[in-house]
Amino acid sequence: MSSDFSFRGYTRRVARSVVDAMVPRWPELDADLTDAVLEQVEDFARNYPPFIRFGVMVMLYGLEFSGPFVRDGLRPTSFLDREAATRRLEKVADHRIPQIRMMVMLPKIMVSFSAYSRPEVEAFLGADRRAWRANRKAFREVLIQLDERRAADPPVPAPLVGDAVRPEDYLRFERT
Amino acid sequence: MIDGIIQPHDTRGDLRLECDVVVVGSGAGGATAAAVLAEAGLRVIVLEEGGWYPTEEFSANIPEMLGKLMRGGASTVMVGRSPVPYLEGRCVGGTTVVNGGMCWRTPEKVLDTWVRERGLAHLAPKALEPHFDAVESAIDARYQDPGSEGGVNDRFKAGADALGWKLSRNKRNQRHCVGSNDCVTGCPTGAKRSTAESWLPRFYAAGGRLFTHFKVERVRTRQGRATGLAGTILDPVGARRFTVEARAVVLSCGAIQTPLLLQRNKLCKPCGHVGRHFTIHPNIKMAARFDTPVDSLRGTHQAWQCMEFGDEGILMAPGAIPLAFMSAIFPSFGPRLAERLRDYRYIATGGILVDDHAEGRIRALPFGVPYIRYDVTDVDQSKFVRAAALMAELYFAAGANEVYTPFHHLPVIGGPDDIAKLYAHPPRVEDTEYFTAHLMGTCRMSAHPRGGVVDPNGETWDVSGLYVADAGTMPGTIGVNPQVTIMALARLIAVRLADRLGRKVPAKIAQVAGHAAA
Repeated sequence: MSSDFSFRGYTRRVARSVVDAMVPRWPELDADLTDAVLEQVEDFARNYPPFIRFGVMVMLYGLEFSGPFVRDGLRPTSFLDREAATRRLEKVADHRIPQIRMMVMLPKIMVSFSAYSRPEVEAFLGADRRAWRANRKAFREVLIQLDERRAADPPVPAPLVGDAVRPEDYLRFERT
Repeated sequence: MIDGIIQPHDTRGDLRLECDVVVVGSGAGGATAAAVLAEAGLRVIVLEEGGWYPTEEFSANIPEMLGKLMRGGASTVMVGRSPVPYLEGRCVGGTTVVNGGMCWRTPEKVLDTWVRERGLAHLAPKALEPHFDAVESAIDARYQDPGSEGGVNDRFKAGADALGWKLSRNKRNQRHCVGSNDCVTGCPTGAKRSTAESWLPRFYAAGGRLFTHFKVERVRTRQGRATGLAGTILDPVGARRFTVEARAVVLSCGAIQTPLLLQRNKLCKPCGHVGRHFTIHPNIKMAARFDTPVDSLRGTHQAWQCMEFGDEGILMAPGAIPLAFMSAIFPSFGPRLAERLRDYRYIATGGILVDDHAEGRIRALPFGVPYIRYDVTDVDQSKFVRAAALMAELYFAAGANEVYTPFHHLPVIGGPDDIAKLYAHPPRVEDTEYFTAHLMGTCRMSAHPRGGVVDPNGETWDVSGLYVADAGTMPGTIGVNPQVTIMALARLIAVRLADRLGRKVPAKIAQVAGHAAA
């Protein structure tokens, strides 16, 4: 069961700066994802057990004060501009000591999962998953109707499809 | 109440239940055992910690689905030389709802080893054959419909064919998998025959009842015999208590949760094996960029596996995954990752599984915190390095122009000539990103009380009437995707338990059932 967890106060500032430094941006896509992704990251954290949430906090604050580890000054990350924050986090991710690199691991996964599952990002990159899922549901319905006309299923492990659908048509998808 | 499923809003107050057999967990092991026992005429209850989500509720919102279907919202990770994230389903159907659906029988050489070295004669290939047959029929372990494979699988096959490497066509538990490539957040079309779509409808039809949001905390015993369970109903309105009295208790919570439950109840300590011998088939992800579109959006997760190097404990496979999961493969983020994934349509992904020789351990710490440790060994790491080089060779043979690895010091291989760099400076365990969904061996079956946690019938050596039927009972690692092995062992255990409780499993149990629900 999920909790009512949310980032508050200074922690919200820290989390937002990490998200802002990690979200993707493309000049052709007019969308600032930071706040939407931050909300989804909160959703993720809500479903985490308390000890994992604690680990997320440790990593976020580790990144906030990671400057000295990567010889990038003492300023907390959330006080840097976006480009400088991104550069600092990249230094952490590229660090030769695995334990320091690990600070990036979970926040990076949370941000990536959230950002790259956004409908606008999927569509922009040619992965319009929602349209594809709808297409597949409709196509499978057709196959199920064909099954109903068949006297008996072929035995396991034979494929179910007959001659009614040509293999080259199976994954047909017209992008809009 | 929907069919045989009872959710918290269907009941009020504390509950006291009674049955012949209570099964904890509804994944590969629990659902199989429950269906077999119910069809034998026993009164069976299944308790599931997670919720029930029908196909219509599998949405495209990945964070939402991870929270609903997976333990800890998919945040689970084991510690070790390099931390290994892992997936554990927590919903009706368990991990079978979120897995890739590969259906491999336990390799005969593995079964022969279990017979020869562990004295488990009842696990001989011939003896297990009827169980494999019944499982494969029940879950529709079929080859893909022709044309449903998609670009990721086609590129992989082209590479293997060019090199003359042996490929095996995967059977998957599916009816008309139409290549929506969303296995991991619940099949959106209902094609995947998870236990929620295969064994459990049979269980309900035989009179079984499944309770969702039931968190088992106590295994009740009397004079060395299991008599039931107790725990909390995770009702959003307010937690309530439940108790179950049963003639037999079957734990099918998976290779991590079952030993944790036993340890928290201080059960089976004398055998000394609970939570040990933990194997995980660690795997790494690879990706490759091609000049022409791969379109991994379209196609099935894994239609082929390359068995050419199976004798070395190396299994390679294509693995189509949604964009969000692909983004997690690459070590970068922000602008660097954004640039890389501009080429999303041109990228194919795959995975390498290694038949591991290490053993990890699971321990229950205070305050409900699990301690899960697994250290990838240098021996297994050398297999990963070789396998990554082979996979890169395969992708280049298929026409890739770049290959991406999970190794920190060499994330990109720019061409076939660069493959040698992997051997020149082999990546360390600490510099490698792993992943797993195959968790096994923590309550292993043994022929002698000192050799494992459960006997050949699946009953714990130390507590009579307490059974384990999940991946934990595997006596060793198997080198292939484990769901069919888990189901076959669970079926064997359930048939023997039904016999002990005075019921015979009807002969028709091997028949295909549930097709109408497709």
